[in-house]
Amino acid sequence: MKTHLEENELTAVVAGLELEAAAEEHLGSCVSCRRQVSAMRDVIDARRGDLEDEAPDWVRQRREIMSQLPPAPAVRPMRRSPWTRPLLAIAAVLVAAVGLRALWTPAPTADPGVISELPVEQILAEVDAMLADDSIPGFELIDQGMDDVIFENGAS
Amino acid sequence: MDPSRTDLSQADDALVLRAQNADHDAFGELVNRHQRRVWMVCRQYVGVGEADAAAQDSLIKAFTRIGDFDRRAAFSTWLTRIAINTCLDELRRRRREAVVDEGPDGDDEPNLLNRVPDGDVGPEGRSMQKQAVASLAAQEKKLPPRQREIFRLRFYAEMELEEIATVLDVHVGTIKTQLHRAVHKLREDLGAYR
Repeated sequence: MKTHLEENELTAVVAGLELEAAAEEHLGSCVSCRRQVSAMRDVIDARRGDLEDEAPDWVRQRREIMSQLPPAPAVRPMRRSPWTRPLLAIAAVLVAAVGLRALWTPAPTADPGVISELPVEQILAEVDAMLADDSIPGFELIDQGMDDVIFENGAS
Repeated sequence: MDPSRTDLSQADDALVLRAQNADHDAFGELVNRHQRRVWMVCRQYVGVGEADAAAQDSLIKAFTRIGDFDRRAAFSTWLTRIAINTCLDELRRRRREAVVDEGPDGDDEPNLLNRVPDGDVGPEGRSMQKQAVASLAAQEKKLPPRQREIFRLRFYAEMELEEIATVLDVHVGTIKTQLHRAVHKLREDLGAYR
């Protein structure tokens, strides 16, 4: 059977800390140890009671709080997932790298060895021939004699 | 956390959800539940004269920021953290020490605890207890600030050890050690030794 609790055990009981099983058992059966614990606890409880006597009127305090509340809580800012920050950083680095490469790479020049697949010379010759012909295709006179008749009637 | 506190915390969660949607009645119920503790916490930091204003400020801040409450801790723990921060901001603003030393000064009485009677106390017993309480108030001031803070949060704001650890952002083992030292010192000062 354990003798009276040690000072550190009494302190632990007062503080509400855990005790070893043997000490708990002794405390349950020892009036003297319990008295020492309760003496300190009673003083602490009385001190708390004194403090509570200083408390404000709770109804009044609540009314004042409610009257000062804003209509709604502040809007909660969007929280990003923890992995979005490194992902955004990687994306920014990639964009910057692509941009720098585009700036520093020289523009491609025309390769003289490449020949056009279009028959350029032939097209130009056809256009020249059309321009040299005064007549307008599709608008030639069907009967040349009619031209004189029209002229005469118009003059009268 | 004991079962009653768990139930309270679950009931708080439902009210918090409504308050996050601007339900003032739900927040009013949260105020009803927690205003006593918030005031008692503020009382320990800024003193009785400023405790009411600090408590009101804390609860209004809690409503404004309730959208930030993410349920990683109990609402009461989150609210207590706001109250402590509000008080510390006020103390910094006033450039005063972190925990206000105030209250009646008592004379150091040797063996005062041994003279506090048990059970039904008469006029003499009440007088003895008053002296012991006054002495406790005086001896608290002599504790190192961290021990005093933990002692007051534990016994006057009636917070669980894990909650104190969370709001002060220290390991629960540290809280136990500091609390043990504080109680030991106070018992010694109040004359627990024969």
